[in-house]
Amino acid sequence: MSETVTLAHGAGGRQTSELIDRVFKSHFSNSDLTADDAAVLTPPAGRMAMTTDGFIVSPAFFAGGNIGKLSICGTVNDLSCMGAKPLYLTCSFVIEEGFEMEKLEQIADAMAKTAAECGVRIVAGDTKVAGKGQVDGVFITTTGVGEIPDGVETSGAKAKPGDVILVTGDIGRHGCTILLEREDFGIDAKVTSDCAPLWNCVKAMLEVTKDIHVIRDATRGGVGTVLYEIAGQSNVGVKIDSEKVPVEPQVKGVCRMLGLEPLYLACEGRLVVVVPREHANEVLTTLKNCKYSEGAAVIGEITKEHAKSVVMTTEIGSQTMLPRPGGELLPRIC
Amino acid sequence: MENTGDKRTAREIITGYTGPKLRIMEVCGTHTHEIFRLGIRALLPKNIELISGPGCPVCVTPTGYIDEAIWLAKEKSATICTFGDLVRVPGSSKSLAGERAEGGHIQVVYSPLDAEIYAKEHPGEQVVFLSVGFETTTPASCLAVKQAIEDGLDNFSILTANKTMPSAYYALKDSVDVYLYPGHVNAITGTKLCESLVADGISGVVAGFTAKELMTALAAAIIKSQEGKPFFVNAYPRVVTREGSREAQKIVADMMEPCDAQWRGLGVIKNSGMKLRSAYGLYDARCKYQIPAIEGHENPACRCGEVLQGKCKSSDCPLFGKNCTPEHPVGACMVSNEGACSAYYSYANM
Repeated sequence: MSETVTLAHGAGGRQTSELIDRVFKSHFSNSDLTADDAAVLTPPAGRMAMTTDGFIVSPAFFAGGNIGKLSICGTVNDLSCMGAKPLYLTCSFVIEEGFEMEKLEQIADAMAKTAAECGVRIVAGDTKVAGKGQVDGVFITTTGVGEIPDGVETSGAKAKPGDVILVTGDIGRHGCTILLEREDFGIDAKVTSDCAPLWNCVKAMLEVTKDIHVIRDATRGGVGTVLYEIAGQSNVGVKIDSEKVPVEPQVKGVCRMLGLEPLYLACEGRLVVVVPREHANEVLTTLKNCKYSEGAAVIGEITKEHAKSVVMTTEIGSQTMLPRPGGELLPRIC
Repeated sequence: MENTGDKRTAREIITGYTGPKLRIMEVCGTHTHEIFRLGIRALLPKNIELISGPGCPVCVTPTGYIDEAIWLAKEKSATICTFGDLVRVPGSSKSLAGERAEGGHIQVVYSPLDAEIYAKEHPGEQVVFLSVGFETTTPASCLAVKQAIEDGLDNFSILTANKTMPSAYYALKDSVDVYLYPGHVNAITGTKLCESLVADGISGVVAGFTAKELMTALAAAIIKSQEGKPFFVNAYPRVVTREGSREAQKIVADMMEPCDAQWRGLGVIKNSGMKLRSAYGLYDARCKYQIPAIEGHENPACRCGEVLQGKCKSSDCPLFGKNCTPEHPVGACMVSNEGACSAYYSYANM
């Protein structure tokens, strides 16, 4: 078999079957994934959450992950934000002619491992090959279905004055990693993407209390954008203490050099959680004991004042508005 | 910094100031941004006015300069290499972003040397680097030209709009009581100049960029101004020396000479610019391409010029936040995140 993907691999014939067998079936194998036209599944008992996401990150391989891992984490985390236990995923590939087969296998391998880690099954997929230059490497779309336990109702519109705001770890690492990988800046810093599946963190929080008001994953626009979304959707103010927001020194350094605000750098493995004050300590302790959220921290609270705005206490103890998210985000980070 | 024997913290000195009205101008875009980001304005008593001066290179770039760059892209099919912020600065009819959308070849780089490397890697293109900036970035432009000579490139030149700060200090001295001098500039030029400014009645404090350094510099400005005579304080001694960087000064002196320069909002200030000496004419885009004289036209409603002189606040401009936003800037001060209007807009007064 050839070592790069060719247009023939996408033509639907023998070579397509070869590609599917070698790369996808071998990695994704489970009893729900069959050779038939659609997966036949048992629906969840309770309410169902469903979501879809496309991934076009450049470069496709970065410190801490690759586009395959990212494509599973992204959808698993979106489901998790609704309190939904991820059950099934589908994945659709658009691969550029000439893409290395070995890299495709690494991507599939990362997808399989990540899916297994959070107990989600890949039940259907599709492969298309596009001509050279028509896509850049590989693009992946994943769609996921999850089950929401009774009594869980998270939403960006449910934050209430007095609630406590947490993040599940240091912020901005994914955005910073991609920035550095592109080598435009000639900055040498060791930063690893935070890309991680977070269902187990959410599950642990829901075991403390089902009364969690908001869970959001801070992806493209970073934690700052999520905070503004919550302030807007819930018509409340958000007040954070900049000193309490965890940022790795390396990320801080890069941000200083490039004039970036870490709150607006992308994360791919971090949640913003809004909980009633009485549960905050227990949720925090629980998160600190979970893989991927060891660095969780309380960063602020929801207020009645400054509705729809994010107010920040700065390192000199003064207060300022967090600038609203702008349109200048780094392209193709996820 | 000298010890004044004052035991109060910088913050206590700043918030407790009750003396006569004091106008402090920060002339560095990074200072403007940090002052907003840290919320320093919220701490100031009413009798201290902080003015954001003309220290952001993008903000003082005149429209005519953008027009020249567009002319090069259009008429000479040149590849324009530029810092990203400059791409969105409005020219008379459009910005470089607009020119790019119409097919102009505009390449964003992060340093002048990146532009030289680009030229080396693309021998088929005529590459022009937009050389804007103050004493901090001018040496790097000279280095890029020097490198191009060493590499034997005949497809690389620079369009200079380099400026020097001292003439601006003189031009604005009536609007200001104390300058916060830009620490990065003084790291290159040293502080000898600041001493001579004192002789001309101009006061200032060299400021660093961390919260502590900025607060210390402001406190020093307040204490010294109460003594009632012109002064100079270096409140950034960990980086700034009296002599500055001799290497940087030398390369600029060897390769460039002063010229009159137009500042957006301030007009032409004599000898406030730097251009390549005639020996380097082949690398000076104006000589190389015989660019015709282009007079830029600014939007008449835009008050960036007055903002830069501290004559009005961003929010006094009729365009501010309405026709002019960071997404759709009309004036240059709204473009860079170091610009006064952009900072006002983003951090809204609490």
